[in-house]
Amino acid sequence: MELIDKLSILADAAKYDASCASSGAPKRSSRGKEGLGSSNGMGICHSFTPDGRCVSLLKVLLTNFCLFDCQYCVNRRSSNVPRARFTPEEVVRLTLSFYRRNTISGLFLSSGIIRSSDYTMEQMIQVAKLLRETHQFRGYIHLKAIPEADPKLLEEAGRYADRLSANIELPTLTSLKTLAPEKELGTIHAAMGHMRQGIDAANDDARQDARQSVRSGNSKRQAPRYAPGGQSTQMIVGADATDDRTILKSAQRLYRDFRLKRVYYSAFSPIPERPAGLPQAAPPLLREHRLYQADFLIRSYGFQAEELLNAPGNLDLEIDPKLAWALAHRDDFPVDLNRAEPAMIARVPGIGLRSVQRLVDLRRLRRIRYLDLVALRCRLDTLRPFVITQDYRPTDACQDSTRLRQSLTAPQPAQMALW
Amino acid sequence: MRSAPISSAPCVAWANDFDEWREQARRLLQAGTPPASVTWHDGNDSHDDLFSSPRALENPPSSRKPSSTPIRIGRDQLTLLRNAARYRTQDYDQPRWPLLYQVLWRLARGDAAAAHAADADGRVLHQRWHAVKREAHHMHAFLRFHRRDDALGERYIAWFEPAHDVLDLGAEHFADRMGGSRWIIATPQGGASWNGSVLDYRDPCPATWASEARTAAARTSASHTRVDDDHALWRTYFVSTFNPARLNHKVMTQHMPQRFWRHLSEGDLIPAMEAKARHGGQRLAQESSVGQRRGKALPPRREAQDGARDQAQGVAKS
Repeated sequence: MELIDKLSILADAAKYDASCASSGAPKRSSRGKEGLGSSNGMGICHSFTPDGRCVSLLKVLLTNFCLFDCQYCVNRRSSNVPRARFTPEEVVRLTLSFYRRNTISGLFLSSGIIRSSDYTMEQMIQVAKLLRETHQFRGYIHLKAIPEADPKLLEEAGRYADRLSANIELPTLTSLKTLAPEKELGTIHAAMGHMRQGIDAANDDARQDARQSVRSGNSKRQAPRYAPGGQSTQMIVGADATDDRTILKSAQRLYRDFRLKRVYYSAFSPIPERPAGLPQAAPPLLREHRLYQADFLIRSYGFQAEELLNAPGNLDLEIDPKLAWALAHRDDFPVDLNRAEPAMIARVPGIGLRSVQRLVDLRRLRRIRYLDLVALRCRLDTLRPFVITQDYRPTDACQDSTRLRQSLTAPQPAQMALW
Repeated sequence: MRSAPISSAPCVAWANDFDEWREQARRLLQAGTPPASVTWHDGNDSHDDLFSSPRALENPPSSRKPSSTPIRIGRDQLTLLRNAARYRTQDYDQPRWPLLYQVLWRLARGDAAAAHAADADGRVLHQRWHAVKREAHHMHAFLRFHRRDDALGERYIAWFEPAHDVLDLGAEHFADRMGGSRWIIATPQGGASWNGSVLDYRDPCPATWASEARTAAARTSASHTRVDDDHALWRTYFVSTFNPARLNHKVMTQHMPQRFWRHLSEGDLIPAMEAKARHGGQRLAQESSVGQRRGKALPPRREAQDGARDQAQGVAKS
């Protein structure tokens, strides 16, 4: 089989993984050195496909032959899809060639399980090792961790990769049992635990090194790195009946217990050869979007999953989770922007984290006025009922939430078509 | 500084780039000239004042003895001024030098709010800086190198049309990124080249660089494939990694404005991919050409292990 055919099959097989981040890597440069590639912590999206998702990494499977029979997966062994397998050298060649043309910032390598988990993991490590050691590649590498593989192999993978990820896919034991009989939640958690230990230890070493190098003046010595971009995972949304509350609570637990950098949510897309019981409907994109918004509120705004959804069920599709929370907690509003704690300002729907910082800076210089919110380009229509400034008080402060919600979600009047 | 007396004698200042502006602004400020008394001329401006003349540069802004107090502003504020100056103003925009001097004047008089994003002047500077940052990021992301080897070996060339003055920001990035590989970046204004160890900036861009880069960038369609094999590989990847079931034109164009498509190696594929997805291809996530290939279900468990190994090896060998 030609390389180009393999690429078309194995890229198609890999697109169900939502993660494509190339951020979080340490600063590396190839200026004046052998080899190729740089990273500076910021990710770069080199292109966007018409589905609106970014192309940042060469995202391929090493092979889509697989021993597992996970029902939601296009590459499960019972699925009648074309199969192919790259040699490690072929993946290396594609990575370097695309990288030089500035179409990618690195490699995201995953694989179906062939022979054994250990063997598959070794093959993936082989690719990363070739890139890093033979070709002195300093771009981004994201490797999929196979949970069942030997912890020693995970440790080796972490030395070459910027990021490791083990996908949970389904957050509950029952759905995992019915849809992915060969996977075990316990094993996945154990692997995440191993990776967390590795990352923590490397960070401790790096901190100690930083202290010592200041004292000894020797900045060259560096602790061995371990997945400096952290670990991430993915959950599928809409393949089974799991609700958003369960998904968010398990995401929150993952952030807390394993200090994951990111949890990705992947709306289930219909696949060919669909097994019974899986939806054939279009992927629930809006639901996925609301989950990402809620996830961001948990990671950066100090919200708890239980606050965003206090009863079993899904997030509101009509309004975003921050506005929904504010409407349910009218007692805490309006917030006086000239007095409130920054954490409370961040809870106002329509004011983002950057604006919070700017408002706090500004009120050290002078009082905040309503026009400042206009200048900072905050979302005025949603924040209006929730804030007080020096020259502004909301007139609808005592309007009840149902009314307020109606006025906020009222459809925009549209010009009717003439013909 | 606060100590400087105000001199309201009108004067003219002329600057081509930020460093020239900085030099002029320092002298004006030390002479205590308020923003309203200065007429600025921008070397980049095509439509200049009727009575302007470059000679004005030679005139010291004021005959008074400048006060020797150094002007101190924060490093963040200087970064803001410097980067906002990279913004290429349109006809209806406020010209850059008077705006920068206005902010500097206020900062030097202790009005720190002048550099804040909520301030009437500071807001414009922040918006400009944001646009400049975004354009530099666009350059890092959407510039495409084409391989054109010469007698010395491997060599890459790119054509890019930045909306603001970010060539040097891009060139520094690519010097870090490409290591020992030689490259040339040509733009409608300046050009930069990297020989593996030293960056070489040219303004204007040499005609030979520009023409070679434009030819390379124009040949993005199928004819290009004959020159460069890996071009076809990248285009195949782009088509295969697209999920037709999630078609979302708005988000794509938000992140990747259409003005960049023309010079992307994959840009001409996008309309066809969208059309195909809309007309029936949207049902599945799989690329239709992959679905047309002969599939292979694998036997369950024990046998599967051997089977998968044999098939996998067979594929790898072929």
